[in-house]
Amino acid sequence: MSEANTPQAGQALVDDERIKQISPLRKALIRPELGGMCGTVIVFFLFFIFAGDSGMFNAQGVMNWSTVSAQFALIAVGACLLMIAGEFDLSIGSMIGFAGMMIAIFGVTLGWPMWAAILVTFVLCTAIGGISGYIVVRTGLPSFIVTLAFLFILRGFTIFLPQMLERKTIIGGIRDAAEGDWLAPMFGGKILTGLFQWMGDAGIIATFERGNKMGQPVVEGIPMLIVWALFMIFLGHFILTRTQFGNWIFAAGGDAESARNSGVPVNKVKILMFMFTAFSAAVFAACQVMEFGSAGADRGLLKEFEAIIAVVIGGALLTGGYGSVIGAALGALIFGVVQQGLFFAGVESSLFRVFLGVILLFAVILNTYIRRIITGER
Amino acid sequence: MTSLFKKLMLATAVVAAPLMVATTAAAEGEKYILVSHAPDSDSWWNTIKNGIALAGDQMGVEVEYRNPPTGDLADMARIIEQAAASGPNGIITTLADFDVLSGPIRSAVDQGINVIIMNSGTPEQVREVGALMFVGQPEYDAGLAAGLRAKGDGVESFVCVNHVISNTVVGERCRGFADGLGVDLGGQMIDSGQDPAEIKNRVMAYLNANPDTDAVLTLGPTSADPTILALEEMGLAGDIYFGTFDLGDEIVKGIKSGTIQWGIDQQPFLQAYLPVVVLTNYDRFGVLPGNNINSGPGFVTKDALGKVEEFAGKYR
Amino acid sequence: MNPEKAPIIQMRNIEKHFGSVIALAGVSVDVFPGECHCLLGDNGAGKSTFIKTMSGVHKPTKGEIMFEGTSMHFADPRDAISAGIATVHQHLAMIPLMSVSRNFFMGNEPIKNLGPLKLFDHDYANRVTMEEMKKMGINLRGPDQAVGTLSGGERQTVAIARAVHFGAKVLILDEPTSALGVRQTANVLATVDRVRKQGIAVVFITHNVRHAMAVGDRFTVLNRGKTLGTAQRGQITPEELQDLMAGGQELVALEGSLGGTV
Repeated sequence: MSEANTPQAGQALVDDERIKQISPLRKALIRPELGGMCGTVIVFFLFFIFAGDSGMFNAQGVMNWSTVSAQFALIAVGACLLMIAGEFDLSIGSMIGFAGMMIAIFGVTLGWPMWAAILVTFVLCTAIGGISGYIVVRTGLPSFIVTLAFLFILRGFTIFLPQMLERKTIIGGIRDAAEGDWLAPMFGGKILTGLFQWMGDAGIIATFERGNKMGQPVVEGIPMLIVWALFMIFLGHFILTRTQFGNWIFAAGGDAESARNSGVPVNKVKILMFMFTAFSAAVFAACQVMEFGSAGADRGLLKEFEAIIAVVIGGALLTGGYGSVIGAALGALIFGVVQQGLFFAGVESSLFRVFLGVILLFAVILNTYIRRIITGER
Repeated sequence: MTSLFKKLMLATAVVAAPLMVATTAAAEGEKYILVSHAPDSDSWWNTIKNGIALAGDQMGVEVEYRNPPTGDLADMARIIEQAAASGPNGIITTLADFDVLSGPIRSAVDQGINVIIMNSGTPEQVREVGALMFVGQPEYDAGLAAGLRAKGDGVESFVCVNHVISNTVVGERCRGFADGLGVDLGGQMIDSGQDPAEIKNRVMAYLNANPDTDAVLTLGPTSADPTILALEEMGLAGDIYFGTFDLGDEIVKGIKSGTIQWGIDQQPFLQAYLPVVVLTNYDRFGVLPGNNINSGPGFVTKDALGKVEEFAGKYR
Repeated sequence: MNPEKAPIIQMRNIEKHFGSVIALAGVSVDVFPGECHCLLGDNGAGKSTFIKTMSGVHKPTKGEIMFEGTSMHFADPRDAISAGIATVHQHLAMIPLMSVSRNFFMGNEPIKNLGPLKLFDHDYANRVTMEEMKKMGINLRGPDQAVGTLSGGERQTVAIARAVHFGAKVLILDEPTSALGVRQTANVLATVDRVRKQGIAVVFITHNVRHAMAVGDRFTVLNRGKTLGTAQRGQITPEELQDLMAGGQELVALEGSLGGTV
């Protein structure tokens, strides 16, 4: 082989007749979020037809499925970034229960000011997330196993601590303890209440007919839960797509060894993602506890799977290195709308799981197809 | 790509359509929604489902049953909010945790939806959320009665197998039982979880560790059925004093064979059936009973098993 | 090759022992800027140990590494990389699921500061990636095309382009053509040629004599941890190289039995 004919070889490679040209439209459509977008359109389309007049799309109904979707989205964002970084967290649900219980124990049983209870809980939970991350990167064990251990450890403490301290598994009175606190409304409060009051007065949304809330709109405002979810989605999407750190997240999950060879601090990235996931679980717990006023030992059961399902519907790859926060958020929206929408449509509630399974299956098939186009996997 | 998209859409529509049409077409008369706190796995609630179905048929109204799949009460609160948003004539719900559920229930009441609390809750709480009435068994009183009865039979210590540790109201049964016996509840209540194998093993572990335990109290079929197996395996069936709340197939068999001394029937059928009847009549004619309705307790022993046996797990 | 220039890297009497095993027993090699220095040898000849010593993975037991005239002691590969010695491994530092431009800048992301935030400068990354790829003769559909859609040869080329872009003065290529087809091999060899002409010293490890002859300026053959000498281009035939690699005599006998086709 002489040097003279190599440039032609290079040229020939460019015009390889076996590489099909992809039209610009198709290219614009082919994104990790595509599956989630299609799913969202389909789901809304179907529910508009079958449950359009059931109250699902009045203010109260919209708020209902939005809140449920926001709950899923909160934990899905954390789980999504962690999954892209190549790791799993099965302790999300237990972490939710644990964080809520810690807020209750600090704030009610020990009588700390609520802001201190919340802040200490956040620090504690994030640290626990960091510990499980540290164990994963240090030992090289699958995160599946390590976080499974934390699933039991945290759930165990969530049941044991209140039983030891209060002889019960539900600690109430959090709303009273949080009265007048400056931090608590950041999680349990509502915003835009003036706007909703105006809409109620103007007859755009329904108002209460009786009781001490008569004349007030049935939807008082946007719960902070939704604000947090939107904030986390924005934050997660921004970090992932726009920052140097985002590139490291992809790299750490795509191939940790290659990423290390290129100077990416893979361990640091993974530990930080575990901490972020724990943080999002703590936000979920804080919102729940502040809204409902009590923490229970069984809160957050199976939420880790709901988070993972939302992420997978949103197009992320279970083995890491690929995915999108917007996709995960759409996955959470689909999940929430389907779960609540089936009730609105009057479908027998035990069939919910059947629908969930069908959607999950379709989503995975569609996403795999899309991903193959993008990445050239075979 | 587009063809796959079409196929997906078509497939989803095909799967979804018959189910949705079938259920929405039936909506003619009044519409009521019953919200329970029980996870899907709790078989005791079948009686409730049968009760509302029968009442719905007889009264010509539509009644839906909803529950949080995992038994998470925070999810249940969302379901009540959702039920209120769908604008039914009335909601029948349990009040398993006042802190979590009182907000959504009060909102529903304030929207002009009639609410009846069934199964779990105290008369004070029921008044506070603005519900019409309570249909159920006052749990502490039922436990107390059972405790007094057991004391009369010579029981001095017991283990309470609690499969719904998160439901404070059900825990009251154990507290009442302990007070009836005149002993301290202390560590005699075990959190058994919902899984039959786990329940069985925990009961066996407890009885091995505390061989001088006189009596076993279970709080429903979920904990009673595996406990029967545990006792049989340990050779204690019929030997140890065994009382249970609620009825079911296995419990009835247990009572018949002498493994179980008595079952406390809170008559769930009434808890489901009566609220539907009351709500319908209230909506149609404005008539309402003047007080809460106690559906239980009723002790079911070996002597009175006829009808119970016939309808166990269905209407009893 | 330009003899007036000083060698950019000189490996003098490098010895490397792993316990009782002597992997390298006094190897000396000079590499000049702008030359392609081929390092040949059969499996187990010590090629890998030698380049790992050069790139800072191993510390030599004895001997001296002179880089740009001064004696260097690399503590780890990062030292060598920051000095300008880049290695493109057989196992590429490439992530198939990520786009070419994200891969290109992996670990060296271009930063655009927005207040305290360190943003990934996508515009810059995309532009540079497209330019560098065009220089190397690869026309991408776009900078967001995933590396997984590229052929093996193209991936090698991206890895080489990346090393060159980030200031490599010495580029060590560890068997870049061993797993490639004919056309892809040609493409990679063309890339090597292009890089050499930019004045970068290329150390090209291979056991394929034909690939070495295609681009090499000088050839050093390793056998059993020793140098069997360095030859200039034109002073040695492929057959002689082949013989040297295999340690001479044995292969002559083997070759005879195979009809001279090895």
